[in-house]
Amino acid sequence: MRHRHGFATFAFVALSCLRPTEERVERDLAVGQAEQAGVSVNVQDGLAVVRSLTPDELVLWGSAPGFELSLSGPSARDLNIEVQNCLPDADLRVKSGDAQLSAADSTDVPTRKRWQLHVGSGVVRLALSAPGAAGTQPFRFALLSDIQEAIIRVADIYDLLNAQPDVSFVLGAGDLTSHGTRDQLERFQAELLRLKIPYFATLGNHELGTHPDLFHDYFGRGNFHFRFHGVAFTLLDDGSASLDPTVYDWLDGWLTEARRDVHIVAMHIPPIDPIGVRNGSWASRDEAAKLLARLAEGRVDLTLYGHIHSYYSFTNAGITAFISGGGGAIPERFDHIGRHFMVFDVDAKKGVTAQSVVRVDPGD
Amino acid sequence: MRRFTALFGLALSLQSSLVAAVVEPKPETEPTPEPTAPPAPAPAAARSRVLPTAAAVVPGLVLHGSGQLALGENTTAKNLILMEGAGLGLFLTGGLTVVFTGASRYFVAPAATFAIAGFGLFSTSYLVDIYGSAATDQGAVPSHLRAVARWETEVGYRRIQDPEFAYRDFLVERVSRQLGPLRLNPSGWFSLRGDTARYRLESQYRLLGNIDEPRPRDVSFLDVTLGFVHQRHSPEHFTKSSAELSLDARYDLARLGPTLRGAFVELGAGYAIGRIDYNLQGLTVPHDIEHLLLGRVGFGVALRGQSAPGSDVLVYYDHRHDDYVAGLKLTGIPSGIAGHFGLLARWFFSESVGVALDAQAGSAYLAGASLLFRAPSRPAPHEAAP
Repeated sequence: MRHRHGFATFAFVALSCLRPTEERVERDLAVGQAEQAGVSVNVQDGLAVVRSLTPDELVLWGSAPGFELSLSGPSARDLNIEVQNCLPDADLRVKSGDAQLSAADSTDVPTRKRWQLHVGSGVVRLALSAPGAAGTQPFRFALLSDIQEAIIRVADIYDLLNAQPDVSFVLGAGDLTSHGTRDQLERFQAELLRLKIPYFATLGNHELGTHPDLFHDYFGRGNFHFRFHGVAFTLLDDGSASLDPTVYDWLDGWLTEARRDVHIVAMHIPPIDPIGVRNGSWASRDEAAKLLARLAEGRVDLTLYGHIHSYYSFTNAGITAFISGGGGAIPERFDHIGRHFMVFDVDAKKGVTAQSVVRVDPGD
Repeated sequence: MRRFTALFGLALSLQSSLVAAVVEPKPETEPTPEPTAPPAPAPAAARSRVLPTAAAVVPGLVLHGSGQLALGENTTAKNLILMEGAGLGLFLTGGLTVVFTGASRYFVAPAATFAIAGFGLFSTSYLVDIYGSAATDQGAVPSHLRAVARWETEVGYRRIQDPEFAYRDFLVERVSRQLGPLRLNPSGWFSLRGDTARYRLESQYRLLGNIDEPRPRDVSFLDVTLGFVHQRHSPEHFTKSSAELSLDARYDLARLGPTLRGAFVELGAGYAIGRIDYNLQGLTVPHDIEHLLLGRVGFGVALRGQSAPGSDVLVYYDHRHDDYVAGLKLTGIPSGIAGHFGLLARWFFSESVGVALDAQAGSAYLAGASLLFRAPSRPAPHEAAP
């Protein structure tokens, strides 16, 4: 009997792990760094993935509207730079170093832009940004999550997003795919070509289905922070129903930095499910309260979640919260919501001034 | 047929099965052993247990009761197969309801309860087959059963490994007092660093099952539990308070067959509502309300040998996500959904003194031990006779 109980204990201890996100945090730290044939690239804060680096070409996938990167190499060279998933009016400029930059032939895709860089030896710093991005003008963004197997009919959602006036970008709170396979990530990327604005996303639990390591290769960090028009955005990887302890350290820094600013935090799984008996929330309610206390202390203005395939409006720790999982994955029945996305109006001086739900299938 | 009725009742309604089991008299002509009369397992015990145990482990993965079939206990095997089927049916009913309703707010609570109960019956029918196939001392069980103590105290130590919180070492204290059918269980968990504490006041009212019989021959019961919990996390600036109501039952598996004597299954289901208060200096933060589905399934065995009566070991699954061990964190898609697993062993050296070993795995790992002190039970009438 003792042996059987010992085995049972071992089995369920082995089944669980205390830091399932630890490896993904390490991958976060590696995003945006690459070296090839003596040329090295370092994207500040990992806000873009190095998709390709050859002696002649650098291809990046942006996770944020703007970012800085440094290039260094032993000798002068010409380098074609393509940034994918960027704002249509984004521009690249040289911040420092011996380099000349010129626009290259445009692509047919509004979110993909090319430049030609002649760079000397030494370190060159470049910055990607859209006009006015450093200002505080009001802007709009959309939230779309939980597409999963509905990728086959996501085109009409993108068409509806394209028809929304003045939306700068789409924020994704995870579950872009059903299992995170390479084919599914490729398909998601291919479908995005239809969208005329960039899609900045963190991952969800469904990206962890078969290849938890692939999301970072395609779409970048799970935990990152950026600013746009004076508003702070933080996206967190809680796809394992928890945050890694290291991420709390990062979060503390981001909260401190944005304490006086409008701050929007998005993640996939809501720490507390409004329908608590469902437990579409974190593994530990204590950890959920720990996070919410920090967000409240950091004076976060808005929290955005996915995971639950419906729409909920509520507050957590006094912070306005929305669950919007309307990308098309198996919907919560009888909620009369169906596929949808949200649009937010944000003003760096006033906060979130308006939000609306855009239903894709109004007949549902 | 009598046992089939009891099993069917267990699957559909533990309460009704318990009522049936307690109220209905057994026909004297019934060839199967009385649950209130210890069977004589000697013929089965005399046989080698290697083949039945192997059958219970390997083909038993698919057909629960294979060990009993190999042992020649066909009725018991049939009951375990029915138990497996009922568990699988409940699990699939609940699970598929969750999937196909998209975890609808209107269906998820009963569906999840079905799934948890189904998991419990399914897994227990496998484990109990192994137990019933391997154990040979079921005849010693009746002398090792005991009524709940009129009072019991516990003091112990727990080590919790949770990367999200700094606390590690806990002092655990509990007092338990039986007042007729009512049992009061105040308890406290105190971090030795002083950064967190958990206070719980639990009261259980026994609706069905033994209270007074010092040497019960059946350990089945049905309790209604009302609990209040207060927990503070000083460094993280929040406190939690909750109230919960649940039905908790234990079913003596000797009712399903003589070779299963000494084993039992536990099932519990309920609801909790809690309040989270944020204590942030200089900020007024509204509280949050949280809701919780309670569900617990376990498989236990009464210990024999050198242990004093009332010793047992229980492996269990607890669906609650609001305690120190909370829910399992996994590397794949389903992380966060399940609660935690645990093992609780209570070994009494004497009528009054024992130890408890506690191990749990969820979002944290917990291990520890307690010293137990309890009031000696009144002697059974035959023990008191000169």
